[in-house]
Amino acid sequence: MIRHALVIASKDLRSELRTKESLNSALSLTIVLLLLFSFAFDPASEDVKQWAGGLLWLVYSFAAILIITRGFARELSNDCLEALRASPVPGSALFLGKAFASFLILLGVELISLPVFGIFYNVNPASKPLPLIAALVLATWGVTVIGTVFGAVTVNLHLRELMLPVLIYPMMIPALMAAIELTSASINQVEPEMIWYRLLIGFNIIFTALSVALVDIVLVD
Amino acid sequence: MKEKLIYTLGLAAAIYLVRNLYVMLLQLPDEAAQGPIYRIFYFHLPGYFTAAFCFLFSAIFSAVYLVTKKWKWDSMAAALTEIGLPFAIMNLVTGMIWGRIIWGIWWTWDPRLTAALISALIYAGYLMLRNAIPDPTERAKNSAVVAIFAFTSVIFTYKSNEWFRTQHPAPVLTIRTGGGTIDPAMEWMLLHNTLALLMFAGVLLFVRWRMEEQRREIESLRRESLSY
Amino acid sequence: MDERNFTYMFYGLSAAWLIIVLYVITLVSRGQKLKQEVETLKRLVKDRIN
Repeated sequence: MIRHALVIASKDLRSELRTKESLNSALSLTIVLLLLFSFAFDPASEDVKQWAGGLLWLVYSFAAILIITRGFARELSNDCLEALRASPVPGSALFLGKAFASFLILLGVELISLPVFGIFYNVNPASKPLPLIAALVLATWGVTVIGTVFGAVTVNLHLRELMLPVLIYPMMIPALMAAIELTSASINQVEPEMIWYRLLIGFNIIFTALSVALVDIVLVD
Repeated sequence: MKEKLIYTLGLAAAIYLVRNLYVMLLQLPDEAAQGPIYRIFYFHLPGYFTAAFCFLFSAIFSAVYLVTKKWKWDSMAAALTEIGLPFAIMNLVTGMIWGRIIWGIWWTWDPRLTAALISALIYAGYLMLRNAIPDPTERAKNSAVVAIFAFTSVIFTYKSNEWFRTQHPAPVLTIRTGGGTIDPAMEWMLLHNTLALLMFAGVLLFVRWRMEEQRREIESLRRESLSY
Repeated sequence: MDERNFTYMFYGLSAAWLIIVLYVITLVSRGQKLKQEVETLKRLVKDRIN
Protein backbone atom coordinates (compact mmCIF):
# COMPACT_ATOMS: atom_id res chain seq x y z
CA MET A 1 0.00 0.00 0.00
CA ILE A 2 2.83 2.40 0.88
CA ARG A 3 4.42 1.69 -2.50
CA HIS A 4 1.17 2.43 -4.32
CA ALA A 5 0.73 5.61 -2.31
CA LEU A 6 4.23 6.77 -3.20
CA VAL A 7 3.57 6.12 -6.90
CA ILE A 8 0.42 8.25 -6.74
CA ALA A 9 2.19 10.96 -4.77
CA SER A 10 5.11 11.16 -7.18
CA LYS A 11 2.70 11.21 -10.14
CA ASP A 12 0.80 14.14 -8.61
CA LEU A 13 3.97 15.99 -7.68
CA ARG A 14 5.43 15.52 -11.15
CA SER A 15 2.34 16.85 -12.87
CA GLU A 16 2.21 19.71 -10.38
CA LEU A 17 5.85 20.63 -10.97
CA ARG A 18 5.29 20.59 -14.75
CA THR A 19 2.26 22.84 -14.74
CA LYS A 20 2.76 24.60 -11.37
CA GLU A 21 -0.94 25.45 -11.51
CA SER A 22 -1.90 25.17 -7.84
CA LEU A 23 1.58 26.12 -6.61
CA ASN A 24 1.51 29.44 -8.46
CA SER A 25 -2.08 30.30 -7.65
CA ALA A 26 -1.71 29.37 -3.96
CA LEU A 27 1.50 31.37 -3.66
CA SER A 28 0.10 34.47 -5.27
CA LEU A 29 -3.05 34.13 -3.14
CA THR A 30 -1.02 34.01 0.07
CA ILE A 31 0.93 37.11 -0.92
CA VAL A 32 -2.24 38.99 -1.88
CA LEU A 33 -3.92 37.99 1.37
CA LEU A 34 -0.92 39.04 3.45
CA LEU A 35 -1.11 42.39 1.67
CA LEU A 36 -4.87 42.70 2.20
CA PHE A 37 -4.70 41.84 5.88
CA SER A 38 -2.15 44.60 6.39
CA PHE A 39 -5.00 47.06 5.73
CA ALA A 40 -7.32 45.36 8.21
CA PHE A 41 -4.72 44.99 10.95
CA ASP A 42 -2.03 47.59 11.44
CA PRO A 43 1.35 45.82 11.09
CA ALA A 44 3.06 48.72 12.85
CA SER A 45 0.98 48.44 16.00
CA GLU A 46 2.33 47.28 19.34
CA ASP A 47 0.23 44.16 19.65
CA VAL A 48 1.15 42.71 16.26
CA LYS A 49 2.69 39.72 18.04
CA GLN A 50 -0.68 38.91 19.58
CA TRP A 51 -2.55 38.28 16.34
CA ALA A 52 0.17 37.63 13.74
CA GLY A 53 0.06 33.85 14.29
CA GLY A 54 -3.66 33.70 13.76
CA LEU A 55 -3.42 35.80 10.63
CA LEU A 56 -0.70 33.57 9.20
CA TRP A 57 -2.80 30.43 9.62
CA LEU A 58 -5.87 32.11 8.19
CA VAL A 59 -3.82 32.82 5.07
CA TYR A 60 -2.49 29.25 5.02
CA SER A 61 -5.97 27.79 5.36
CA PHE A 62 -7.09 29.70 2.26
CA ALA A 63 -4.05 28.42 0.37
CA ALA A 64 -4.88 24.92 1.60
CA ILE A 65 -8.38 25.07 0.09
CA LEU A 66 -6.94 26.00 -3.31
CA ILE A 67 -4.45 23.14 -3.27
CA ILE A 68 -6.82 20.56 -1.82
CA THR A 69 -9.62 21.27 -4.28
CA ARG A 70 -7.16 20.45 -7.03
CA GLY A 71 -6.19 17.11 -5.44
CA PHE A 72 -9.07 15.02 -6.73
CA ALA A 73 -10.47 17.51 -9.24
CA ARG A 74 -7.19 17.11 -11.14
CA GLU A 75 -8.35 13.62 -12.10
CA LEU A 76 -11.77 14.66 -13.39
CA SER A 77 -10.69 15.61 -16.91
CA ASN A 78 -10.39 12.66 -19.31
CA ASP A 79 -12.09 10.41 -16.71
CA CYS A 80 -8.77 9.78 -14.98
CA LEU A 81 -10.59 9.17 -11.70
CA GLU A 82 -12.53 6.27 -13.23
CA ALA A 83 -9.27 4.82 -14.53
CA LEU A 84 -7.69 5.12 -11.09
CA ARG A 85 -10.72 3.48 -9.48
CA ALA A 86 -10.48 0.60 -11.92
CA SER A 87 -6.74 0.21 -11.34
CA PRO A 88 -5.43 -2.23 -8.69
CA VAL A 89 -4.42 0.70 -6.47
CA PRO A 90 -6.60 0.50 -3.32
CA GLY A 91 -8.61 3.58 -2.42
CA SER A 92 -6.70 4.13 0.79
CA ALA A 93 -3.38 4.18 -1.09
CA LEU A 94 -4.84 6.59 -3.62
CA PHE A 95 -5.96 8.78 -0.73
CA LEU A 96 -2.63 8.64 1.10
CA GLY A 97 -0.70 9.41 -2.08
CA LYS A 98 -2.89 12.38 -2.92
CA ALA A 99 -2.76 13.65 0.66
CA PHE A 100 1.02 13.35 0.74
CA ALA A 101 1.42 15.24 -2.55
CA SER A 102 -0.92 18.02 -1.38
CA PHE A 103 0.94 18.09 1.93
CA LEU A 104 4.28 18.68 0.23
CA ILE A 105 2.86 21.34 -2.09
CA LEU A 106 1.14 23.17 0.77
CA LEU A 107 4.24 22.92 2.94
CA GLY A 108 6.28 24.39 0.09
CA VAL A 109 3.87 27.31 -0.25
CA GLU A 110 3.99 27.86 3.52
CA LEU A 111 7.77 27.82 3.68
CA ILE A 112 8.11 30.25 0.79
CA SER A 113 5.56 32.70 2.20
CA LEU A 114 6.81 32.49 5.80
CA PRO A 115 9.71 34.96 5.30
CA VAL A 116 7.39 37.27 3.35
CA PHE A 117 5.06 37.24 6.33
CA GLY A 118 7.96 37.95 8.68
CA ILE A 119 9.07 40.93 6.61
CA PHE A 120 5.59 42.39 6.03
CA TYR A 121 4.54 42.17 9.66
CA ASN A 122 7.92 42.79 11.23
CA VAL A 123 7.91 39.65 13.38
CA ASN A 124 10.26 36.69 13.55
CA PRO A 125 8.06 33.59 13.29
CA ALA A 126 11.05 31.29 13.89
CA SER A 127 12.17 32.74 17.24
CA LYS A 128 11.44 29.37 18.78
CA PRO A 129 11.91 26.76 16.05
CA LEU A 130 10.38 23.69 17.72
CA PRO A 131 6.76 24.89 18.10
CA LEU A 132 6.89 26.47 14.67
CA ILE A 133 8.14 23.30 12.99
CA ALA A 134 5.60 21.21 14.88
CA ALA A 135 2.83 23.58 13.79
CA LEU A 136 3.97 23.61 10.17
CA VAL A 137 4.43 19.87 9.78
CA LEU A 138 1.62 18.51 11.97
CA ALA A 139 -1.08 21.07 11.25
CA THR A 140 -0.37 21.02 7.53
CA TRP A 141 -0.73 17.25 7.53
CA GLY A 142 -3.96 17.45 9.54
CA VAL A 143 -5.40 20.06 7.24
CA THR A 144 -4.49 18.13 4.09
CA VAL A 145 -5.91 14.87 5.46
CA ILE A 146 -9.25 16.50 6.25
CA GLY A 147 -9.23 18.36 2.96
CA THR A 148 -8.33 15.34 0.86
CA VAL A 149 -10.89 13.02 2.39
CA PHE A 150 -13.67 15.60 2.01
CA GLY A 151 -12.35 16.30 -1.48
CA ALA A 152 -13.03 12.64 -2.23
CA VAL A 153 -16.52 12.93 -0.75
CA THR A 154 -17.41 15.95 -2.88
CA VAL A 155 -15.47 15.13 -6.07
CA ASN A 156 -18.54 14.19 -8.14
CA LEU A 157 -20.64 17.18 -7.11
CA HIS A 158 -21.55 20.10 -9.31
CA LEU A 159 -21.38 22.27 -6.22
CA ARG A 160 -17.94 20.93 -5.30
CA GLU A 161 -16.26 24.31 -4.86
CA LEU A 162 -19.13 25.52 -2.70
CA MET A 163 -19.54 22.45 -0.51
CA LEU A 164 -15.87 21.78 0.23
CA PRO A 165 -15.13 24.91 2.30
CA VAL A 166 -18.44 24.58 4.18
CA LEU A 167 -17.49 21.06 5.23
CA ILE A 168 -13.78 21.31 5.88
CA TYR A 169 -13.31 24.66 7.60
CA PRO A 170 -15.24 23.65 10.74
CA MET A 171 -13.59 20.21 10.72
CA MET A 172 -10.06 21.59 10.71
CA ILE A 173 -10.56 24.29 13.35
CA PRO A 174 -8.94 22.23 16.17
CA ALA A 175 -5.78 21.79 14.08
CA LEU A 176 -5.73 25.45 13.10
CA MET A 177 -6.34 26.48 16.72
CA ALA A 178 -3.33 24.47 17.89
CA ALA A 179 -1.18 25.72 15.02
CA ILE A 180 -2.07 29.32 15.83
CA GLU A 181 -1.16 28.85 19.50
CA LEU A 182 2.15 27.17 18.66
CA THR A 183 3.09 29.80 16.06
CA SER A 184 2.16 32.61 18.44
CA ALA A 185 4.33 30.98 21.11
CA SER A 186 7.21 30.96 18.65
CA ILE A 187 6.65 34.60 17.66
CA ASN A 188 6.42 35.66 21.31
CA GLN A 189 9.35 33.47 22.35
CA VAL A 190 7.42 31.70 25.08
CA GLU A 191 7.09 28.00 25.81
CA PRO A 192 3.71 26.78 24.46
CA GLU A 193 1.42 24.63 26.56
CA MET A 194 1.75 20.88 25.98
CA ILE A 195 -1.98 20.56 25.26
CA TRP A 196 -1.50 22.10 21.79
CA TYR A 197 1.10 19.51 20.76
CA ARG A 198 -1.12 16.76 22.08
CA LEU A 199 -4.16 18.18 20.34
CA LEU A 200 -2.31 18.25 17.00
CA ILE A 201 -0.91 14.74 17.35
CA GLY A 202 -4.26 13.35 18.45
CA PHE A 203 -6.04 15.14 15.63
CA ASN A 204 -3.63 13.72 13.06
CA ILE A 205 -3.79 10.17 14.36
CA ILE A 206 -7.58 10.08 14.65
CA PHE A 207 -8.35 11.66 11.31
CA THR A 208 -5.65 9.84 9.36
CA ALA A 209 -6.92 6.52 10.72
CA LEU A 210 -10.59 7.38 10.09
CA SER A 211 -9.82 8.57 6.59
CA VAL A 212 -7.79 5.51 5.64
CA ALA A 213 -10.54 3.29 7.02
CA LEU A 214 -13.44 5.06 5.31
CA VAL A 215 -12.06 6.43 2.06
CA ASP A 216 -12.33 3.07 0.29
CA ILE A 217 -16.11 3.24 0.73
CA VAL A 218 -16.22 6.68 -0.83
CA LEU A 219 -13.94 5.97 -3.77
CA VAL A 220 -14.85 2.39 -4.59
CA ASP A 221 -18.50 1.40 -4.67
CA MET B 1 -51.37 1.67 14.59
CA LYS B 2 -47.83 2.98 14.57
CA GLU B 3 -49.18 6.45 14.07
CA LYS B 4 -51.51 6.23 17.05
CA LEU B 5 -48.60 5.12 19.19
CA ILE B 6 -46.53 8.08 18.03
CA TYR B 7 -49.29 10.59 18.64
CA THR B 8 -49.82 9.16 22.12
CA LEU B 9 -46.11 9.52 22.77
CA GLY B 10 -46.29 13.10 21.51
CA LEU B 11 -49.18 13.89 23.83
CA ALA B 12 -47.38 12.28 26.75
CA ALA B 13 -44.25 14.31 25.98
CA ALA B 14 -46.28 17.52 25.86
CA ILE B 15 -47.97 16.80 29.22
CA TYR B 16 -44.62 15.82 30.70
CA LEU B 17 -43.02 19.06 29.51
CA VAL B 18 -45.84 21.15 30.97
CA ARG B 19 -45.55 19.27 34.25
CA ASN B 20 -41.80 19.89 34.27
CA LEU B 21 -42.33 23.58 33.62
CA TYR B 22 -44.79 23.72 36.52
CA VAL B 23 -42.36 22.04 38.90
CA MET B 24 -39.31 24.03 37.84
CA LEU B 25 -41.07 27.40 37.90
CA LEU B 26 -43.34 27.08 40.90
CA GLN B 27 -41.97 24.39 43.18
CA LEU B 28 -38.18 24.50 42.94
CA PRO B 29 -36.49 27.43 44.69
CA ASP B 30 -34.14 29.91 43.02
CA GLU B 31 -30.50 28.95 42.97
CA ALA B 32 -28.57 30.63 45.79
CA ALA B 33 -25.83 32.26 43.72
CA GLN B 34 -27.50 32.77 40.36
CA GLY B 35 -31.15 33.51 41.11
CA PRO B 36 -34.02 32.53 38.84
CA ILE B 37 -31.85 32.56 35.68
CA TYR B 38 -30.41 29.16 36.58
CA ARG B 39 -33.65 27.54 35.31
CA ILE B 40 -32.36 28.06 31.78
CA PHE B 41 -30.06 25.19 32.62
CA TYR B 42 -33.08 22.85 32.63
CA PHE B 43 -33.23 23.35 28.88
CA HIS B 44 -29.55 24.04 28.22
CA LEU B 45 -28.21 20.67 29.34
CA PRO B 46 -31.18 18.47 28.27
CA GLY B 47 -31.04 20.21 24.88
CA TYR B 48 -27.39 19.29 24.53
CA PHE B 49 -28.00 15.73 25.70
CA THR B 50 -30.80 15.29 23.19
CA ALA B 51 -28.65 16.67 20.38
CA ALA B 52 -25.66 14.51 21.38
CA PHE B 53 -27.91 11.47 21.58
CA CYS B 54 -29.25 12.16 18.08
CA PHE B 55 -25.76 12.71 16.69
CA LEU B 56 -24.43 9.57 18.35
CA PHE B 57 -27.15 7.44 16.81
CA SER B 58 -26.77 9.21 13.50
CA ALA B 59 -23.12 8.10 13.45
CA ILE B 60 -24.02 4.57 14.55
CA PHE B 61 -26.79 4.20 11.95
CA SER B 62 -24.50 5.63 9.29
CA ALA B 63 -21.99 2.90 10.10
CA VAL B 64 -24.80 0.34 10.03
CA TYR B 65 -25.83 1.66 6.62
CA LEU B 66 -22.27 1.30 5.32
CA VAL B 67 -22.23 -2.33 6.46
CA THR B 68 -25.76 -3.40 5.47
CA LYS B 69 -26.51 -0.93 2.62
CA LYS B 70 -30.17 -0.81 3.69
CA TRP B 71 -31.94 2.45 2.87
CA LYS B 72 -33.81 2.68 6.15
CA TRP B 73 -30.59 3.24 8.11
CA ASP B 74 -29.61 6.07 5.82
CA SER B 75 -33.04 7.67 6.30
CA MET B 76 -32.71 7.23 10.05
CA ALA B 77 -29.26 8.86 10.11
CA ALA B 78 -30.51 11.80 8.06
CA ALA B 79 -33.59 12.26 10.24
CA LEU B 80 -31.54 12.02 13.45
CA THR B 81 -29.08 14.68 12.33
CA GLU B 82 -31.82 17.05 11.35
CA ILE B 83 -33.67 16.56 14.64
CA GLY B 84 -30.44 17.00 16.59
CA LEU B 85 -29.65 20.37 15.06
CA PRO B 86 -32.54 22.42 16.57
CA PHE B 87 -31.71 20.94 19.98
CA ALA B 88 -28.07 21.92 19.53
CA ILE B 89 -29.21 25.42 18.63
CA MET B 90 -31.46 25.43 21.70
CA ASN B 91 -28.39 24.59 23.76
CA LEU B 92 -26.37 27.41 22.20
CA VAL B 93 -29.10 30.05 22.44
CA THR B 94 -30.12 29.29 26.03
CA GLY B 95 -26.43 29.30 26.96
CA MET B 96 -25.99 32.73 25.39
CA ILE B 97 -28.94 34.17 27.31
CA TRP B 98 -27.60 32.72 30.54
CA GLY B 99 -24.15 34.13 29.77
CA ARG B 100 -25.58 37.60 29.23
CA ILE B 101 -26.66 37.67 32.87
CA ILE B 102 -23.96 35.67 34.60
CA TRP B 103 -20.92 36.66 32.52
CA GLY B 104 -22.28 39.97 31.24
CA ILE B 105 -21.62 38.97 27.62
CA TRP B 106 -23.57 37.03 25.03
CA TRP B 107 -20.67 35.04 23.73
CA THR B 108 -17.11 34.29 24.70
CA TRP B 109 -14.56 32.33 22.67
CA ASP B 110 -14.26 29.70 25.31
CA PRO B 111 -13.18 26.23 24.04
CA ARG B 112 -16.46 24.63 25.02
CA LEU B 113 -18.61 27.27 23.35
CA THR B 114 -16.41 27.26 20.28
CA ALA B 115 -16.52 23.47 20.06
CA ALA B 116 -20.32 23.41 20.38
CA LEU B 117 -20.63 26.01 17.63
CA ILE B 118 -18.22 24.10 15.37
CA SER B 119 -20.25 20.96 15.94
CA ALA B 120 -23.50 22.69 14.92
CA LEU B 121 -21.81 24.10 11.81
CA ILE B 122 -20.49 20.68 10.80
CA TYR B 123 -23.93 19.11 11.08
CA ALA B 124 -25.43 21.98 9.10
CA GLY B 125 -22.79 21.17 6.48
CA TYR B 126 -23.86 17.53 6.53
CA LEU B 127 -27.47 18.52 5.77
CA MET B 128 -26.32 20.80 2.96
CA LEU B 129 -24.22 17.99 1.54
CA ARG B 130 -27.24 15.68 1.49
CA ASN B 131 -29.16 18.23 -0.54
CA ALA B 132 -26.28 18.68 -2.94
CA ILE B 133 -25.89 15.02 -4.01
CA PRO B 134 -28.54 13.97 -6.51
CA ASP B 135 -27.68 10.28 -6.77
CA PRO B 136 -29.25 8.32 -3.83
CA THR B 137 -26.50 5.69 -3.47
CA GLU B 138 -23.73 8.25 -3.63
CA ARG B 139 -25.62 10.50 -1.21
CA ALA B 140 -26.15 7.73 1.32
CA LYS B 141 -22.58 6.49 1.41
CA ASN B 142 -20.85 9.87 1.28
CA SER B 143 -23.04 11.43 3.93
CA ALA B 144 -22.59 8.34 6.11
CA VAL B 145 -18.84 8.91 6.01
CA VAL B 146 -19.32 12.59 6.84
CA ALA B 147 -21.63 11.70 9.77
CA ILE B 148 -18.93 9.50 11.28
CA PHE B 149 -16.34 12.26 10.89
CA ALA B 150 -18.75 14.82 12.29
CA PHE B 151 -19.29 12.88 15.49
CA THR B 152 -15.68 13.56 16.53
CA SER B 153 -16.78 17.16 17.05
CA VAL B 154 -19.38 16.04 19.60
CA ILE B 155 -16.71 14.11 21.52
CA PHE B 156 -14.47 17.16 21.30
CA THR B 157 -17.21 19.35 22.77
CA TYR B 158 -17.90 16.87 25.55
CA LYS B 159 -14.24 16.56 26.51
CA SER B 160 -13.26 20.19 25.91
CA ASN B 161 -13.65 21.34 29.47
CA GLU B 162 -11.40 18.57 30.71
CA TRP B 163 -8.71 19.35 28.16
CA PHE B 164 -8.70 23.13 28.35
CA ARG B 165 -9.16 25.78 30.98
CA THR B 166 -12.64 27.02 30.32
CA GLN B 167 -15.02 29.60 31.60
CA HIS B 168 -17.87 27.20 31.06
CA PRO B 169 -19.17 25.73 34.36
CA ALA B 170 -17.87 22.28 35.28
CA PRO B 171 -20.10 19.21 35.02
CA VAL B 172 -22.67 18.86 37.80
CA LEU B 173 -24.37 15.52 37.24
CA THR B 174 -23.58 12.82 39.79
CA ILE B 175 -22.35 10.39 37.13
CA ARG B 176 -19.55 12.84 36.26
CA THR B 177 -18.72 14.33 39.64
CA GLY B 178 -19.51 11.55 42.08
CA GLY B 179 -22.20 13.66 43.72
CA GLY B 180 -22.36 16.56 46.12
CA THR B 181 -22.28 19.47 43.68
CA ILE B 182 -25.99 19.65 42.92
CA ASP B 183 -29.16 19.48 44.96
CA PRO B 184 -30.89 16.12 44.31
CA ALA B 185 -34.23 17.81 43.54
CA MET B 186 -32.54 19.94 40.89
CA GLU B 187 -30.70 16.97 39.44
CA TRP B 188 -33.97 15.05 39.19
CA MET B 189 -35.51 17.98 37.37
CA LEU B 190 -32.65 17.88 34.86
CA LEU B 191 -33.18 14.18 34.25
CA HIS B 192 -36.94 14.61 33.95
CA ASN B 193 -36.58 17.33 31.38
CA THR B 194 -33.95 15.35 29.47
CA LEU B 195 -36.38 12.48 29.25
CA ALA B 196 -39.19 14.80 28.16
CA LEU B 197 -37.08 16.33 25.40
CA LEU B 198 -35.92 12.88 24.29
CA MET B 199 -39.54 11.72 24.04
CA PHE B 200 -40.36 14.80 22.05
CA ALA B 201 -37.35 14.21 19.79
CA GLY B 202 -38.57 10.64 19.28
CA VAL B 203 -41.90 11.92 17.92
CA LEU B 204 -40.15 14.40 15.64
CA LEU B 205 -37.81 11.64 14.55
CA PHE B 206 -40.67 9.44 13.43
CA VAL B 207 -42.26 12.29 11.45
CA ARG B 208 -38.97 13.26 9.85
CA TRP B 209 -38.05 9.67 9.07
CA ARG B 210 -41.34 9.13 7.26
CA MET B 211 -40.64 12.26 5.23
CA GLU B 212 -37.26 10.88 4.21
CA GLU B 213 -38.93 7.66 3.05
CA GLN B 214 -41.48 9.75 1.16
CA ARG B 215 -38.66 11.62 -0.52
CA ARG B 216 -37.20 8.31 -1.62
CA GLU B 217 -40.58 7.35 -3.02
CA ILE B 218 -40.68 10.62 -4.95
CA GLU B 219 -37.27 9.92 -6.40
CA SER B 220 -38.27 6.47 -7.58
CA LEU B 221 -41.61 7.76 -8.93
CA ARG B 222 -39.71 10.42 -10.87
CA ARG B 223 -37.48 7.81 -12.44
CA GLU B 224 -40.51 5.70 -13.19
CA SER B 225 -42.42 8.55 -14.81
CA LEU B 226 -39.41 9.34 -16.95
CA SER B 227 -39.02 5.76 -18.10
CA TYR B 228 -42.33 5.62 -19.98
CA MET C 1 -32.15 39.04 42.69
CA ASP C 2 -32.85 41.87 40.29
CA GLU C 3 -35.56 42.26 37.71
CA ARG C 4 -33.30 41.57 34.73
CA ASN C 5 -32.31 38.17 36.05
CA PHE C 6 -35.95 37.12 36.07
CA THR C 7 -36.74 38.61 32.65
CA TYR C 8 -33.79 36.83 31.06
CA MET C 9 -34.91 33.53 32.57
CA PHE C 10 -38.20 34.14 30.83
CA TYR C 11 -36.38 34.96 27.56
CA GLY C 12 -34.29 31.82 27.85
CA LEU C 13 -37.21 29.49 28.35
CA SER C 14 -39.22 31.13 25.58
CA ALA C 15 -36.24 30.93 23.22
CA ALA C 16 -35.88 27.21 23.92
CA TRP C 17 -39.54 26.63 23.10
CA LEU C 18 -39.57 29.00 20.16
CA ILE C 19 -36.74 27.16 18.43
CA ILE C 20 -38.56 23.85 18.74
CA VAL C 21 -41.89 25.33 17.63
CA LEU C 22 -40.27 26.97 14.60
CA TYR C 23 -38.63 23.70 13.68
CA VAL C 24 -41.91 21.80 13.99
CA ILE C 25 -43.64 24.36 11.76
CA THR C 26 -41.01 23.98 9.02
CA LEU C 27 -41.20 20.22 9.44
CA VAL C 28 -44.96 20.13 8.99
CA SER C 29 -44.93 22.48 6.00
CA ARG C 30 -42.20 20.46 4.31
CA GLY C 31 -44.15 17.29 5.03
CA GLN C 32 -47.26 18.68 3.37
CA LYS C 33 -45.28 19.74 0.33
CA LEU C 34 -43.82 16.26 0.06
CA LYS C 35 -47.23 14.65 0.38
CA GLN C 36 -48.58 16.81 -2.43
CA GLU C 37 -45.60 15.95 -4.59
CA VAL C 38 -46.07 12.23 -4.04
CA GLU C 39 -49.73 12.49 -5.05
CA THR C 40 -48.99 14.52 -8.17
CA LEU C 41 -46.30 12.09 -9.24
CA LYS C 42 -48.51 9.07 -8.57
CA ARG C 43 -51.23 10.58 -10.73
CA LEU C 44 -48.66 11.35 -13.42
CA VAL C 45 -47.39 7.78 -13.45
CA LYS C 46 -50.93 6.40 -13.57
CA ASP C 47 -51.80 8.68 -16.51
CA ARG C 48 -48.74 7.57 -18.38
CA ILE C 49 -49.58 3.91 -17.87
CA ASN C 50 -53.18 4.32 -19.09
